[in-house]
Amino acid sequence: MTFEAAQTYLQEKAKSLGVEIEILAERHKTLAFKARQHQIEEATISLQGGLGVRVVVAGRVGYAYTEALDEAALEWVLDEAIENARLTRDDSGSLPQGRPLGSHDLVGEGLSAPVEEKRALALALEDGIRKDPRVDRVGGASYSEAEVEHRLVSSAGARGDYRSGTASLGVSAVMRDGESLKQGIEVVFAQDAFALDPASTSQSFLEKTGRLLGAKPLPTGTYRAYLEPRALAQLLSFFWSMWSAKAVLEGKSPLKNKLGQRIASPLLTLLDDPAHPQGLDNAPFDDEGVPAKKTTLIEAGVLRSFLHNSETARKLGHENTANGRRSYKSVVGVMPFNLVVAPGQGVAIEEGVVVTELMGVHAGANPITGDFAVQGLGLLVKDGEPTPVENFVLAGNFLDLLQNISAIGDGFWWTKMGFGIGVPLVAVEEVHFAGA
Amino acid sequence: MLKEDVAAKVLQHARTLGADFAEIYVERVRKRNLRLLNGELKEASSGLDLGAGVRLFFGTQVVYAYTNDLEATTLLEVTETLARLKGEKGQVDAEGAGGLDFRKMRPQGVHRPQRPLETQDKRQRIDRLLEADAAARIDTAIRSVETRWAESTQEVWIANSEGLWVNDERVRSRYFVLAIAQDGNEVQSGVSAPGKSVGLELFDLYPPSKAGREAAEQALTLLKAQPAPSGPMPVVIGNRFGGVIFHEALGHLLETTSVARKTSVLADKLGEVIASPVVTYIDDGTLPHGWGSSEYDDEGHPTERTVLIERGVLKSYMVDRWGERVTGYRRTGSARRQDYTFAPTSRMRNTFIAPGDEPPEALIRQVDYGLYAKAMGGGQVKPGSGEYNFSVREGYLIKNGRIEAPVRNAMLVGKGPETIRRVVAVANDWENAPGMCGSLSGMVPVEVGQPHVLVEEIVVGGQG
Repeated sequence: MTFEAAQTYLQEKAKSLGVEIEILAERHKTLAFKARQHQIEEATISLQGGLGVRVVVAGRVGYAYTEALDEAALEWVLDEAIENARLTRDDSGSLPQGRPLGSHDLVGEGLSAPVEEKRALALALEDGIRKDPRVDRVGGASYSEAEVEHRLVSSAGARGDYRSGTASLGVSAVMRDGESLKQGIEVVFAQDAFALDPASTSQSFLEKTGRLLGAKPLPTGTYRAYLEPRALAQLLSFFWSMWSAKAVLEGKSPLKNKLGQRIASPLLTLLDDPAHPQGLDNAPFDDEGVPAKKTTLIEAGVLRSFLHNSETARKLGHENTANGRRSYKSVVGVMPFNLVVAPGQGVAIEEGVVVTELMGVHAGANPITGDFAVQGLGLLVKDGEPTPVENFVLAGNFLDLLQNISAIGDGFWWTKMGFGIGVPLVAVEEVHFAGA
Repeated sequence: MLKEDVAAKVLQHARTLGADFAEIYVERVRKRNLRLLNGELKEASSGLDLGAGVRLFFGTQVVYAYTNDLEATTLLEVTETLARLKGEKGQVDAEGAGGLDFRKMRPQGVHRPQRPLETQDKRQRIDRLLEADAAARIDTAIRSVETRWAESTQEVWIANSEGLWVNDERVRSRYFVLAIAQDGNEVQSGVSAPGKSVGLELFDLYPPSKAGREAAEQALTLLKAQPAPSGPMPVVIGNRFGGVIFHEALGHLLETTSVARKTSVLADKLGEVIASPVVTYIDDGTLPHGWGSSEYDDEGHPTERTVLIERGVLKSYMVDRWGERVTGYRRTGSARRQDYTFAPTSRMRNTFIAPGDEPPEALIRQVDYGLYAKAMGGGQVKPGSGEYNFSVREGYLIKNGRIEAPVRNAMLVGKGPETIRRVVAVANDWENAPGMCGSLSGMVPVEVGQPHVLVEEIVVGGQG
């Protein structure tokens, strides 16, 4: 069966059973080339997807998904979803009032370059980094693209679809200088394959990894930290859940009861923008069919809003920010589209530790409390002179860190870590570093 | 799900297009998940995954495609596209066009559940989770308890151009208890998360009442904990999930994924002393009902017990088919993948340090001032430099050979190949614990483990 036919089949079946239903269909199309030793070592293509079903039976919500589209699988998915709904006690559930959402193409010709050109990008990226004799071993240089077709229908009247996608270049390699080894990774995402440039990506890899060679232990102490965009993005990709109203409702956010309060430096403004010109995860509507919109989370240091889906908005009595997001396999949660730190006046790097990258954030950070202790890589700057440092841990609380921001860069750097993140460099006073 | 004639057609077609090896992997997985918060079912979900992956080798070049569409015409089309993607024209191989006679291999059922998932309805799982929830309420400071259940039944069919045919079924069950304790502004959590390649007997092997209590005790301990000390010091790493440190900092460096590309600092070191002589390190895919066990790997090769390091000497790497082609090392049944959306790579299964003879208390007694990392969180490693970091979930100070006050937020950092040389003692209380390991071929279930281990020096990062 086609996706459309399967959606219709499920809708009609649900109607005959008197069950409210919402069906999210996703079709992912990917292409990737990985170059190593001047040839394509791996190439991958895919066409894959599935149907995610949410049913409401007398106010009770249940979920199931299937990647098989035959009649038996569709019967199974509906039976399971209904059984799952009947097991829950909360009978206040409902599908958000739907509306026609239209058909949107956010990709256009962005990924339409010929396959040969995409192969060439991966090969050129590897050639680019191999020009530096300090590059000891190359794990791989890759071109990847992913395109997703989202199609949502619900018995509450939602109907719409959109196509989104991104392309990326990524390289992983080990650089050596004498006994010192550093493994670096550089990944650059773009909305258009045409916007990717192997020369600048390889240059950036060599600079970012090369400057860490010959690193010495960092003496334990309190320093000003200059968080490079990648390090800040790594923290945000983990701590964003503090703004999730689902976490707030379940007592898992330290920001509960803090709306309207100053929680960060007045220099800081944090937004979720589903339609940013450079956004890597733009969307016209969320996965419950609510039109997406810009949400200010922190405005000049003051907590303005949480991220909501229809259920959390109803339960907290707040406005729905249309962040009800899911994949066809998951339940409706809350997630940003493009989390953006508004650029500031610029940062002059004088004295402190430039944190270029963090490791193990998922392991060393606790989003319920904001506490973290994570390994960093970076440069110790004294009198404007940087020297590389290693084997150290930054420890503290993420909310203290936001309070102690003393300057924000005027640039902008984008990455995708589950959703889009666009951030500048930030300077943070009084960060505890544990090292030698 | 996979028909013999379809598989034969696809594999033979791939050979005529110039591939010197072709493989088809078909998978069907049924999953069920439950999440309860404070005794109330929040979400129940079910899923059916179905897809195929086609992989072609041209020497050491690999092309891979995956799709949900298992029709013969689609699979043949995909195979054509793959051969084209490779770029150069393939050599038509007359030999490859010959017939394929599959040798059928059947699992013996070593890991088959004793209490199959179908024997009880979902309410029974919910009732058992409620037991864990109740057992966690040991103190008024326990403010919230979250419990989750996850089960999966994965059936795979693997066929290749050498005539291999494997049909394997893997059943896995796991549950989680997360207890949150609060005292004033201070919030801490404790977890317990047993999992095995079993059915509903998981609840008998790991009673929910015990798991609930464990999670709560950990949360309460952390509530009283002081900030961890900073600086280099001796560390006693606990058994069970304590094994994660060497999983990350040593195990990953022994997979051909990084060894073959020489991005591991331990490449080309077979036969060399790479660890302390008290260390014997084993990766065993055959442990009955192990969370990371299966009878066949995801290339259809039988799994095995692989001794990686014997008394400090490197004996073997973990090798998949691609790794074998590049390095010449024999395959070890280590090819694994999250699902059909990933091509397999060499991965760990159940990896652990073999036990020594001392009781764990003897290790503690050797330390004047140091850290006891009783329960570990997760971590990360860079195989190219061996740099790692791990969070300590539950830690204690050791003073004058005795365990003292609990400490929190400790992070261990260092370089794996250095740390494994600094292991000075291994206790006799080996136990494994389940986890999910993420790498090139996605997230796969693994066990990590060890007895208590004393490392003479690790850099501890804390706030104190």
